[in-house]
Amino acid sequence: MKADQGSSQPSVWRFRRRTDAPFWLNILIRLFAVALALVLVGVTLELSGLEPIALGKKALLQTLATSYGIQQTVILATPLIMTGLAVALGMKMRLWNIGTDGQLYLGAFAATAVGLFVQGPTWIMLVLMFMAGALGGILWIFIPALLRAYWNVNEIITTLLLNFVAVLLVSHFAIGPWRDTGAAILSATRRIPYELPAFGDSYLHIGIFIPVIIAALLAIMMRNTRWGYEVRVIGSNRGAAEFTGIPVLRHILLIMLLSGAIAGISGMIIIAGTSHRLSGTISNSYGYMGIIVAALANGSPLGVLISGVLLAILLNAGIVLQTSGLSVSAMLAINGVILIFAAVGEVATQYRLVREQIETRLKPDAGRLADDQAMQAGADAPEKEKTE
Amino acid sequence: MTNVLSGVLAAAIASGTVIALAALGELLAERSGVQNLGLEGVMAMGALTAIAAVRWYPDPYFGLLAAILVGLLLGVIYALATVVFRANQVLCGLGLAFFGTGLSGRLGAPLSGFPSPATFQPVRIPLLADIPIIGNAVFNQPLLVYGAFFVLPPLISFVIHQTRHGMQVRAVGENPGAADACGISIMKIRLLYTCIGCILAAIGGAYITLAFTPSWIEGITAGRGWIAIALVIFGAWRPLPVVLGALLFGAVTSLGFVAQIQGWGIPSSFLAMMPYLGTILLMAIPILFRSRALRKLSTSPAALGIPYIREGL
Repeated sequence: MKADQGSSQPSVWRFRRRTDAPFWLNILIRLFAVALALVLVGVTLELSGLEPIALGKKALLQTLATSYGIQQTVILATPLIMTGLAVALGMKMRLWNIGTDGQLYLGAFAATAVGLFVQGPTWIMLVLMFMAGALGGILWIFIPALLRAYWNVNEIITTLLLNFVAVLLVSHFAIGPWRDTGAAILSATRRIPYELPAFGDSYLHIGIFIPVIIAALLAIMMRNTRWGYEVRVIGSNRGAAEFTGIPVLRHILLIMLLSGAIAGISGMIIIAGTSHRLSGTISNSYGYMGIIVAALANGSPLGVLISGVLLAILLNAGIVLQTSGLSVSAMLAINGVILIFAAVGEVATQYRLVREQIETRLKPDAGRLADDQAMQAGADAPEKEKTE
Repeated sequence: MTNVLSGVLAAAIASGTVIALAALGELLAERSGVQNLGLEGVMAMGALTAIAAVRWYPDPYFGLLAAILVGLLLGVIYALATVVFRANQVLCGLGLAFFGTGLSGRLGAPLSGFPSPATFQPVRIPLLADIPIIGNAVFNQPLLVYGAFFVLPPLISFVIHQTRHGMQVRAVGENPGAADACGISIMKIRLLYTCIGCILAAIGGAYITLAFTPSWIEGITAGRGWIAIALVIFGAWRPLPVVLGALLFGAVTSLGFVAQIQGWGIPSSFLAMMPYLGTILLMAIPILFRSRALRKLSTSPAALGIPYIREGL
């Protein structure tokens, strides 16, 4: 405000909209959102009598400084990246697939059905399970996709409600008809004999490459194919897309089915790679965390790879800290805070702080007064038109 | 048989009340143009707060008050993010839903399984409660039930459709640019109705733990917040159809109870799926059978989910 004194043309700081936020700002804002959420959690822990810094150190050490921790993080990152990709794919066309958790369960369910009731050589069986997983996911999103594409029924609600149904369905089979009767304590199915090949004696299996391959494929398809171009056009302006003859409805249906298939495959990877048994608890809210992964990556397939690993580190840290009073629910709450901060941070990238001169309608010596009025009125419409 | 029928109706009303309250709140928020997908979280927090409060001071109305305050707090947070900062409503709503369900699960862990020490008592309305079959089910209920079914819907309908203020709210939801030009404060109206929406969702949650199933377990809301959002769409943003939808939903849920008691041999997990599948069906029915004229009526507020930014800013 100092510069205004004695100046006949006073100026003020104003927020102006922009669409060209630099790449580094996007990254920085999102990291800041995650950091702020963690600080908030830390303060909460401190207030409830725990030691957040010691806990955080312990969690990070056990996550990133031990071979076991790194392996676990990679294992957790796999489904997170997959569900993140599934959500990100929909985001390209402003579709929200919130049901990736359910599709993951159905993919796991279908893969388990094949694994339990079909016999064959391991490689063929794994391919069959992979296809069954994709099909299970597609099946689970088929009705919401159809309703959304042709009758404009809100896909957020329909996909989400099917999550509840999927968990009930899978639990029913895992506890009921498919239950492993040999092991009395387990509420899960028999161990499935077909497993993704592991590296040496580590926990890692070749399934961890599937998300990377799918992310690369999606990135190439979005950038270099006619299909990807049309999808991007629909996402940025549906009316224009319709006008130029792009089959919008078919694209909506296809994108949603593909999104469901990716989520379904992640269920298959869990079954064939890590859990080997189907139960009602194979997903650590992966589907819900996938939304955050996609939001942090702003819908970019390659960005999902990074944000998926970031969230996997967080999730693993949360699992490490479960003995110290953190629980899965607490992790969900933290994720919610990250999501809100990320969404608010997104807004910050759309504005730029600029200093602008205002022309005054009053006498020059009344400039100070006009400046104050402008400050109070904020974005007062007539004032603003003059500045442009 | 009349006993069963009366029982089904009573159960339908009890479980419908939760949805009706939350759905009416969402309706108000959406009419002003703000979509709040966080209802599930707000409801869970309301439910937990209510039971935690009555454990400290055993009066159900104290629990209700505490739930209202928490609903208001969450509403202010959500409105701050979406109305003041104009952040993406889908992301913020999901964030609020995760935050509320997660936090209530964590904080509620020590309370898990304990019955609520104080509950809302039914208030019998003389004469009306003596009507056979429906009388006892409909007119022998806690006050909140009468509020949800008999007071709020006509009140909201009147305010939204018949008053100047209601017209301003609808204008903000339909065409905020025009409303702004008329001198209506978009931010004030959206802030107000987002908070009212969250408060009603929290009251719905309080009704769960203080009357419907008076105890706390994690995930007690069981997706009712999401179903409420679906019902607003089903009811075409009008209070009376929304409340009727809530009642219908309650009937579907109570049909599950009946099937279990009568022993029809349907596995309980399949019965538990019915409300969710029923809701999807409800969302699908109007578009399949409605005439074109009716479909015109059922379009959402034009500015729903779009943050308002004054042109040129």
